[in-house]
Amino acid sequence: MCFLSPADPRSEDAASCHVGMPAAIGAEGEPILVATGLSYSYLDRYPALDDVSITIRRGERVALLGANGCGKSTLLKVLDGLIFPTSGAYTAFGEAVTEDTLEDEQMSEGFRSRVGFVFQNSDAQVFSPTVREEIAFGPLQLGLSRDDAAGRLEDVAGMLGITDLLDRAPFQLSGGQKKKVAIATVLVMGPDVLLFDEPTAALDPRTQYWLMDLIEQLGTAGKTIVHATHDLDVLHRLADRCAVFGEDHRIVAEGSPQQVLADRDLLLAVNLIHERTVLPAATG
Amino acid sequence: MHIPDGYLSPQTCAAGLLVAVPMLGVAATKVHDRVKTRNVPTLAVLAAVCFLIMMFNVPIPDGTTAHAVGGALVAILLGPWAAVIAVSVALAFQALLFGDGGVLAFGVNVVNMAIVLPFVAYGVYRLIAGRAALTSGRRVVAAFIGGYVGLNTAALCCGIELGIQPDLFQDAHGAPLYSPYHLSQAVPAMLLAHLVVAGVAEGIITGAVVAYLQRANLPLLRVNHPDVPVTTEEAAQDAARRQWLRPTVVAGAVMALLVVLTPLGLLAPGGAFGENPPEDLDLHKLGLSTIPEGLNKYNGFWHDAIFSGYDFTGDSHPTLGYLVSAVTGILVVGLVVLLIGKLVARLATPDDPTTDGPTTDDPGEPTPGEGATTPETTKKIRS
Amino acid sequence: MTDAPVGATPDRVPVPQWLLQQDMAMCPCGCIGKRKKGSYLTKTIQGGSKLLQQVMFGEDVAAAGGLLQRIDPRVKLLSLLGLLVVAGLAHSMITLAVMYAATLVLASLSALPVSFFIKRVWLFVPIFTGIVVLPATLSVVTHGDIVLTLWHWNGHPQGFTAQGLTAAARVVARVAVSISLVVLLTLTTPWIRLLAALRSLAVPRIFILIIGMAYRYIFLLLTSVTDMYQARQARTPGTPKHDRTARAFLGASVGALLGKASHLSEEVYQAMTARGYRGDAMTLDRQRLRSIDASYIIVVVAFAAIMLIGDVLLVPR
Repeated sequence: MCFLSPADPRSEDAASCHVGMPAAIGAEGEPILVATGLSYSYLDRYPALDDVSITIRRGERVALLGANGCGKSTLLKVLDGLIFPTSGAYTAFGEAVTEDTLEDEQMSEGFRSRVGFVFQNSDAQVFSPTVREEIAFGPLQLGLSRDDAAGRLEDVAGMLGITDLLDRAPFQLSGGQKKKVAIATVLVMGPDVLLFDEPTAALDPRTQYWLMDLIEQLGTAGKTIVHATHDLDVLHRLADRCAVFGEDHRIVAEGSPQQVLADRDLLLAVNLIHERTVLPAATG
Repeated sequence: MHIPDGYLSPQTCAAGLLVAVPMLGVAATKVHDRVKTRNVPTLAVLAAVCFLIMMFNVPIPDGTTAHAVGGALVAILLGPWAAVIAVSVALAFQALLFGDGGVLAFGVNVVNMAIVLPFVAYGVYRLIAGRAALTSGRRVVAAFIGGYVGLNTAALCCGIELGIQPDLFQDAHGAPLYSPYHLSQAVPAMLLAHLVVAGVAEGIITGAVVAYLQRANLPLLRVNHPDVPVTTEEAAQDAARRQWLRPTVVAGAVMALLVVLTPLGLLAPGGAFGENPPEDLDLHKLGLSTIPEGLNKYNGFWHDAIFSGYDFTGDSHPTLGYLVSAVTGILVVGLVVLLIGKLVARLATPDDPTTDGPTTDDPGEPTPGEGATTPETTKKIRS
Repeated sequence: MTDAPVGATPDRVPVPQWLLQQDMAMCPCGCIGKRKKGSYLTKTIQGGSKLLQQVMFGEDVAAAGGLLQRIDPRVKLLSLLGLLVVAGLAHSMITLAVMYAATLVLASLSALPVSFFIKRVWLFVPIFTGIVVLPATLSVVTHGDIVLTLWHWNGHPQGFTAQGLTAAARVVARVAVSISLVVLLTLTTPWIRLLAALRSLAVPRIFILIIGMAYRYIFLLLTSVTDMYQARQARTPGTPKHDRTARAFLGASVGALLGKASHLSEEVYQAMTARGYRGDAMTLDRQRLRSIDASYIIVVVAFAAIMLIGDVLLVPR
């Protein structure tokens, strides 16, 4: 388990790192999250996933693209073991992830500490009375001692520049600050795999750029990243591979950002873009 | 209805805590058993909702506004035990964070607003709603009446707790130590205000929210009504399979009626008409010098009444005696009605075992009512 | 929280009209307050912002460096409960007066503006309590020795009774002392530390967790309530009518609030699970008692004992 800290030299110079490099790592990494034939429907009535298969390799950065309500968030929740598919199989790090196997303490601890999830709605993720308690929540649940948890907490807060927010209550935070806290709560657990659900949604441009730099750094540091996004402009910076969802809740295409962005008809067909949308230069 | 510190004797507060603490423990276990670990965020959010409902000012018909507690609503949506926890937490906030309602009196406040209110409201709601369809207007009416009766019962308890103070706690000169109003003053004052104002507020908020959820968010309403038919047609089919006047329902109704009427005995002046001989009745004047021997023989042949004269305290606490007598009497009457009802039901339908059983729903019951769910509601979950 | 009587009094019970006010003042939360038609919208929004202000102010005072701020919250909580019981048991006005003076001293030692402290306590509840207990000074409520005859009824003199006056003064004093004690605690203790204190005082962890999260979500839901009201106000020309539609809107907004709340709680549960929550939450709190806490306990216990013994000596039981 690699814990990213400010002392980590890889994160120091990450911003200047060349984009192409992690892609090379991603292509060679062993598969760590393997989902085959996933189907899921809400209230047994409204389908959200229909026969979806996807494999995430170590060190890879994968973007999930698709119109609103096509199943991206649902897939992320399945990948994080929060909801369980009605059919299909999902294994993480070689172990099957089901409601039953997660009842096992050791399995649950191992899985939860390796896979972190940044929710789209920071308000749901920031539920403790203070920021300090919030960030300490995960490590304490995973059995870290109070001293270790407090130490990690300070490191992460320093890294994300939120040390002065630690004793604030969540209702005193702005949207951007809440997002930083939410990310801190996940990073503090030192996960290998990071799942982001529309991370830059509803953030001001400055925070958006900060966040994209961070995701890029994390990728350079060797983290595996899966994120659902609508932000096509920076796709080439944040993803080695894209999976495109159709409105029928299936994955209709997979490929590099360049390949996907070049296929305008595909993006129109899945209702992701409007006829007048100007796509970023497909050359990346 | 929030009783501040200083109005109740420490002894009464201790008694309140003695009732409240075990009930909270039971509530925590009950809710835990039912929904597993999932309960914590749900209850937390509900407690926040209760707190906010106490801030909502409800306009009521005579031009005034009042606020509700929300206990009846939570009881209908998630069951009375969830309401116990949600309202208690909201009360704890008010006591500790905002100095609203007492800290010592917390137990008593919990008993009134977090225990009595939701359970009474839920009972009345179930009684009136019966097996009516989830979308029927009867459920709205039931919710209104449930909230109304629940809040007033809570107010009655509050009035009694305040009213017994001057009788139980006085100093050497006979001056009351705590709340100075006697039962005959505190109970009517509490009840009048709540019958007219606050009860209506609780009723309105409970009924209006149920009506809204029927239109806009049926799944939320279904959480605590898993086996209730959704549409009127289904309810009709359902009713054909059930006997409405189940003995438990009848017995419950009789008991509820008696509970509601109980305070009359405390409020009404004088004795019951025709029960005891008037003090100025002189039979000799009327030319009746003696009761016939045969009748006199039966006068008072029963000397073993537990609550002789509706009192067991030897008249030292007449009101307390009356109330204990009332509770015992109501329970006995309810039991008798239940037994008679069961007997009648058995005689009437000797070969249908489902008539008086609880809700024995066949699992394969079709649920076309789900179609009433608006797609937007469900979409929200996904986005 | 109102000055208007509600409903009518039954003739035969000698309860005067103003007695009905008891209930309103009994309920400092303003359960049954009478207000002008149509003002419920603004009232609720104001309530919301007032709530926030109060919390912000409380956090500011709690951060100041006074005496009580330095005491461990557990010690403060326990001594609060003890002193509340002492105030409850006291019979003598002198005891209550001394206790009230002590709260003033504590307030000034704890960097609380004393005038604010007095105002908060005396304007908030005991004034209402005073009005409420006023009828209790009369012989119609509290029988006893009449000290000032006001009128005659059936040949009996009626008026203020000694017992009534004593009782009323005592209730007002007791309520004032109790509220002062509670306000002292809440104003000098950051909410989060109060929560930690409850936790270490045998309140089950599940309740603490619920309380902590509920506190956090009050503010989130408050925002959406305010938004709903403002959205409605923006669409309602003139003063909003106080009628059926207002109630329907109320039902709709509470209903929408509940819908939002249940959806939110589902997500919060997932967010907790994602970080390893398995039904028993661990928390980050460590508190050690210091010597100042020990001295505070000793002073409080000694004070409570003196009050109790003194009270028994002053008013023999």
